[in-house]
Amino acid sequence: MSKTYAIGHPIWCAGCGHFGVQAAIQHAMNQAGVELHNTLVLAGIGCSGTVQNNVGAYGYHSMHGRVLPTAIGASLANPELTIIAAGGDGDGYAIGGGHLLHGLKRNANLLYVIMNNGVYGLTKGQDSPTKEVSVSAPEEEPLDAMMLGLSIQSTTFLARAITSRSDQLNRLMLMGLNHARDGKGMAFIEVLSPCVTYNDTYPQWMKKAYDVDADPEYCNTHRGKAFAALYDLVQQSRIPIGLIYSGNHPSLQSAMVSEITPHHALDQEHSERVSKHLDKVLSAYAV
Amino acid sequence: MSLAMYDISAVVDKDLLQGEVREDLTIMVGGQGGDGSLTIIALLSKALLDRGYSIYRTSNIASRIKGGHAAAFMRASTGCKSCLGDKIDFLIAFDTEAVQKASSQLAANSVVVFDSSREALPPGLVPETALVVPVPFSRLAVRVLRQDLFKNSLGFGLVGRIIGLPDEEIEACLRNHFKKLSATELEPNMRALREGQAFADTAGISGNQSIVTLPRKESQGERVFISGNHAVAMGFMVAGGRFFAGYPITPATDVMNFLARNLPAIGGVVMQAEDELAAINLVIGAALTGVRAMTGSSGPGIALMQESIGHCGSAEIPIVIIDCQRAGPSTGMPTKPEQSDINMLTRGGNGDFPHIVLAPGDPSECFEYGVLATNLASRAQCPVIVALDAVCHDNFTVPRFDLAAVEIDMGKRISASELAEIDEYRRYQMSADGISPMAFPGTKGAMNLVTGNERDEWGRVTTEPGNRVRMMDKRARKIETVKPQLPKAVEWGDSAAPVGVVCVGILGGVIQEAMDRLEKQGHRFHGHRLRTLWPVLQDTIDFVNQHEVVYVVEQSEGAQLASLLRSAGAQPENIVSILRYDGLQYTAGEMMAALIDKERQTCPRPMQ
Repeated sequence: MSKTYAIGHPIWCAGCGHFGVQAAIQHAMNQAGVELHNTLVLAGIGCSGTVQNNVGAYGYHSMHGRVLPTAIGASLANPELTIIAAGGDGDGYAIGGGHLLHGLKRNANLLYVIMNNGVYGLTKGQDSPTKEVSVSAPEEEPLDAMMLGLSIQSTTFLARAITSRSDQLNRLMLMGLNHARDGKGMAFIEVLSPCVTYNDTYPQWMKKAYDVDADPEYCNTHRGKAFAALYDLVQQSRIPIGLIYSGNHPSLQSAMVSEITPHHALDQEHSERVSKHLDKVLSAYAV
Repeated sequence: MSLAMYDISAVVDKDLLQGEVREDLTIMVGGQGGDGSLTIIALLSKALLDRGYSIYRTSNIASRIKGGHAAAFMRASTGCKSCLGDKIDFLIAFDTEAVQKASSQLAANSVVVFDSSREALPPGLVPETALVVPVPFSRLAVRVLRQDLFKNSLGFGLVGRIIGLPDEEIEACLRNHFKKLSATELEPNMRALREGQAFADTAGISGNQSIVTLPRKESQGERVFISGNHAVAMGFMVAGGRFFAGYPITPATDVMNFLARNLPAIGGVVMQAEDELAAINLVIGAALTGVRAMTGSSGPGIALMQESIGHCGSAEIPIVIIDCQRAGPSTGMPTKPEQSDINMLTRGGNGDFPHIVLAPGDPSECFEYGVLATNLASRAQCPVIVALDAVCHDNFTVPRFDLAAVEIDMGKRISASELAEIDEYRRYQMSADGISPMAFPGTKGAMNLVTGNERDEWGRVTTEPGNRVRMMDKRARKIETVKPQLPKAVEWGDSAAPVGVVCVGILGGVIQEAMDRLEKQGHRFHGHRLRTLWPVLQDTIDFVNQHEVVYVVEQSEGAQLASLLRSAGAQPENIVSILRYDGLQYTAGEMMAALIDKERQTCPRPMQ
């Protein structure tokens, strides 16, 4: 077997929450038994956008904000792959915010992890859309992606974890990966992953976190009840964590009429069936 | 029901029914939207294609007419043409406004069929020598068939007679056009058609007693009547393209619609994205898995894709991009043609990166370059853009594409068995030709990192200066490697003429026709149409430098093509620009006038 690239070492600051997220992704890959050569890890731009270098799979570094459409394209073009997309809150909620809506709406078979630290770390500390009290715009409320996800009828897996609670993070990450691999659609996991250098929120977030998994009253299979519960918690300045919602909706792949041809079959594509079809299409223009 | 009350024998002089032979006829049908101008043009196109004529049909020119007005135009001729004739020979007008709009363009010997249901044609709108045939289409359709709707079929019956089509051809054409209708639905259309013919009878227009005649032509071999958009999408599909993502935009939406209709049946995927950024990145995602993938848009959408195009150049991702250019800047004039994306396509994007821009001139080349772009993207592992102009929406009659002759080049791909033979796989391995073998997710022993950051051979991000230079040079070498495969310019006219004419895209056919006609008047030019815009090929630079004067004719205010040629080494003092940016397409006559006008101003020596 040919040797490939040497697996990278994380470049994050000591104490960065992203170490925990990467460990959870690797733990989930191990537990699920995914093969590195059948896995594509895509990451956006930002501190989180280096995770693809560190896991040994096929890695792609997308443009800023575009990781989700790229991941969806790959998942459609080769449904046999395990697709893991990762990015930061600036990447996913600001510059890539439009794609998030449509990603949630499409429900493609992939795992999308946002490492939310409320700040632009790589450019040294500007406010992100999830910054709780913005210096530049104090009247703005932070964006809550779980409530956004709940409001879109085709979401099937919404979870939030906090990097310092690794057991829950590992459990949710594995559930999310299996959800995608089982063809149930997109697993969207936001991990509260504090930036120790520019927005060290470990103490506040730990204090505010409310674990819905530990609440027997919380119903994570009922969209409306989950939304009402989250609304109340947010009103009380709590941050709901745990499995926010799990439901069923056809995945993008299952809804596509087409039977997608993987690249390895394309070389033999010029079958009689294809030639016939192409000839028929052209014949509609014949005079 | 008597038709006698509409007797038009007083209008159509028997002497005019000589069936004058016309082999080059420009036809306009105009009226209110919904009057069915497009239906009559479609029927006439089909009837004349069946007679062996070549048809050029444009929809774009229609929005010359504002408000509720709609018009359709076609030119029937014996050879493939890239523009309408200089004047309208035959006008079918459903109202006075249509005649007003066409007025300045009517040929002296034009035939004007006018719907006289509401009013008589006001005087002074048509040339005195034109023949006006007032026909109350609408009233007839309502009287006989109780519905105004049937005036198209009725009109076609009459018009078919006027241009000397035998009744059986007229009827066959209508049946074919409405083949999806049930017998019950077809029946009133057939009745309407016969009413039109009966009306012609009352005027004595029948058989060889037509106003003009278009004699049947010998079979031209197998032909297709197709637009550039459909042809380029067809080329992509035949070349093994199986993934398309786009966002609706005029005039590129047709590419997406065509593929949405035809690609899924053979295992392809077509996605309508939320915006152009998503469209091109969906395509990048597909390309990362080894699938041949394409997006398409027009200027504003391509502007949004610029970062991604450069990214593919850097990260060595093979994708195809169709740009159906329209009049800019900004939203510009969405339905009007222009060639003003040249700056953006050739020199847009941040940083220096390899890419290719092809520019087809007719649907045959659109098909050919749909194939070529797909192959070149794989071969050079970079973005390949196909720049269309008005050719995107105009329909031409061209020889049927030879699908069996299409060759698929998958480029350098490394297989699992080849990987087993080597010690180490490096995605961005240095090579003499600049191309590193690609491997895709799913392949054992070929895991790699793809990034738009500068990187080493393994794909690991680095800013090491020596590596940076080696990588930039490696990527640049790929373009040198594929240069011999890039389409050279086509040339025509008098190679000894001191004046050269350079153009791109649809203007080639227009200039060729203009030059043919000018040659008969003693004007000599040497024509040259680029087919690769980027990189600029040496043959174009040599052409400019070897002529005393070169007119660079283009549809942009900023002389983008001329500027591109200058920057690539063409002598600036040789270049004289002829620019058009009013949103209209040239006719050959207008082109002749433009060339002669420039000749008067700049010719180095008097013309013979």
